[in-house]
Amino acid sequence: MTRTIPIIIVLTFAAILTIVLCTLTGPAGFGIPSSGPGAADIVGSIRLPRVLAAFFVGASLAVAGAAMQALFKNPMADPYILGTSSGGALGASVAIIFLGGLFVPVFAWAGAVIAILIVWSIAGRKGVISVETLLLTGIAVSFFFSAIVSFLIAIAGENVHQIIFWLMGGFWNASASDAILSACILVPAGLLLFFMGRDLNALSLGEETAAHLGIDAAHARWSVLGASTLLVAGAVSIAGSIGFVGLVTPHIVRMLLGPDNRVVIPACILAGGILLVTSDTITRTFFSDLPVGIITAFIGAPFFIWLIHKKGETL
Amino acid sequence: MTGPYSINAEDLHAGYGTQDIVKSISCSFAPGTFTGIIGPNGSGKTTLLKAFSRVIPASGILELDGKAVSDFTPAELGMALGFVPQDEGRPFSYTLLQVVLMARYARTSRFAALTPDDYARCHRVLDETGVAHLADRSIRTLSGGEWQRVLIARALAQDTDVLLLDEPTSHLDLAHQSDILTLLRDLAASGATIIGVFHDLNLAALYCDRLIMIKNGQMVADGTPDKVLTPEKIREVYSAEVVTSCHPATGRTFLMPVKAINGNVSPLKSLNVQVISGGGSGSGLLHFLTGRGLSVSAGILATTDTDYITAKVLELPCIPVLPFSRIPVHALEKLKAMLAQADRVVLSVHPIGAGNLPVLLALCDMDPARIIIHLPEGREFASYDFTKGTAAAAYEDLCAAGAPCTSTYDGILRLLSPNLNGDENHETRNTN
Repeated sequence: MTRTIPIIIVLTFAAILTIVLCTLTGPAGFGIPSSGPGAADIVGSIRLPRVLAAFFVGASLAVAGAAMQALFKNPMADPYILGTSSGGALGASVAIIFLGGLFVPVFAWAGAVIAILIVWSIAGRKGVISVETLLLTGIAVSFFFSAIVSFLIAIAGENVHQIIFWLMGGFWNASASDAILSACILVPAGLLLFFMGRDLNALSLGEETAAHLGIDAAHARWSVLGASTLLVAGAVSIAGSIGFVGLVTPHIVRMLLGPDNRVVIPACILAGGILLVTSDTITRTFFSDLPVGIITAFIGAPFFIWLIHKKGETL
Repeated sequence: MTGPYSINAEDLHAGYGTQDIVKSISCSFAPGTFTGIIGPNGSGKTTLLKAFSRVIPASGILELDGKAVSDFTPAELGMALGFVPQDEGRPFSYTLLQVVLMARYARTSRFAALTPDDYARCHRVLDETGVAHLADRSIRTLSGGEWQRVLIARALAQDTDVLLLDEPTSHLDLAHQSDILTLLRDLAASGATIIGVFHDLNLAALYCDRLIMIKNGQMVADGTPDKVLTPEKIREVYSAEVVTSCHPATGRTFLMPVKAINGNVSPLKSLNVQVISGGGSGSGLLHFLTGRGLSVSAGILATTDTDYITAKVLELPCIPVLPFSRIPVHALEKLKAMLAQADRVVLSVHPIGAGNLPVLLALCDMDPARIIIHLPEGREFASYDFTKGTAAAAYEDLCAAGAPCTSTYDGILRLLSPNLNGDENHETRNTN
């Protein structure tokens, strides 16, 4: 606990620094371009919204991942585990194929939310449901939706490229309104999860244990799932299904700060944002805007492996 | 109704899904008591405990301190009732202290930090359960017994008047079992209501004031350990044969398993077997033959002899005599009468001195075909002779006269049932 507050302060400064530096960086060079028509607009209306959107999406995915891992008592859970990404992918694919790419964010968001609602209603049919039932139902629904997406890809013809890019995720179309939207979800949902840190701690030892410790386990479960769903559906509608950030950021944070969710949740918001902004800046600056999902895994995986080696088995 | 009870259950039904596992249980628990819930596997002990703590839906009346359990808010329940599960998954590397501090959540606002008092309380319970030195270790590195003590510590840190424990000592070694149970008994003595599920009936009898025995979700006995732990109840509920005794050091009821009812009962059930032994030579044999369902009698035994204790515990007829003294004439006469009544006599070769020589000589007057001699592998008659040759000669005379001799218990069984596999002489051996 003693080093928690300094690390959170350092992460906060790192986040601000990352946002500033990444806003100043781009294919047009470092710093505010001094000449050329609309040069100042590059920073203000292109880079800054994109950087902020990437930060909020990264934060959303990381914090939702941490919450899911605690809720499912499983460090291998990721924010998409209940079907948000495959639902979102289905919605996006439908919009790309049948509407020529119009309304992709809306369809992706709706697909993600519908997937979760289906999982909830199936798993909740018998009254008392365990998180294990929820998890398995989510996995089954995910596979079902993925099968439909695969089918759509097979018949998509010229749109395949667009669907696949969406699946890998990126911020090509990120606008100021995306940044504002994701911030509007992140702030209340992030605060809710932050103040539920102790509920997450207790839930991560099991729902019965949480109940025995005086936690309203059912209420906590639905709050966590609701907040996570909104965060992930928002992220998916803005940037597609970016992998790795949501799974690995919580691990990195726990390795550095321990598993107390009252610390993990705020740290994930900062670290997830930093990770995704950095990755996105790298891809748009050096890799002619490849899907950022490639970069997150490409940098993140070796870093994660190094950390596992350094810290041993403690997750 | 409200009474001076911490927990009051009337006609309680509970289970998973549609099937009731606990069926119509009514019982009350007063403050200051330590109750053990016992019963065979799958009888509903854990379900009953979890129904009390509201994590399994239950119907019927269930009150905590006179107030319906369903009226408690989750936090109120967390301050009124602590629960120790059998085990708990450890997916994340919390430190021991972090896990125990979770006990204080119910008493703290989610917007406030835990106070120094909370920390002090948690450090104290870690100390009481003997895991204080591990406070900063990751729970994933703990042994099963250490983890169980952390779970107990966490429930203690909740500071509740009622404590429910599901097999709290199942992973603990002997010393820690008694430490934890003593701690729980002291808590009960200071006014807490302790209810624990136990598999070790002797441990339960040793520490609990009261035992509740359940079978198939129903209560079959409720009372002090000596009232509940009778051989008849154990046979009815566990299908196991035990003998009860008084623990020599504590005076509490003490059970010893004899055999399972459906165990290996030999077809010789009705055979009346007289065992002649001494100096502890017959303990195992008496138990073995009794366990096979035979009607066994022990012979003349000094009251300090282990064989005598065995005979007494197994409730076998025997002729007790004073140690270190000559066998009285009436005892010898009684033995001769018993020998005459027995179908077969098993002579467990044992040390013979001047005192017990008359018993051996009495055997020599019998039909040797009715006698089976049990001589442990690798031993000779001479090594049991403390009469300068008389006893060894008597043993050998019996052998020579045709009494079959074997070195194993199974050999005795085979010799007892010549009609079953016919080959009586197969086991005999020449000891000359």
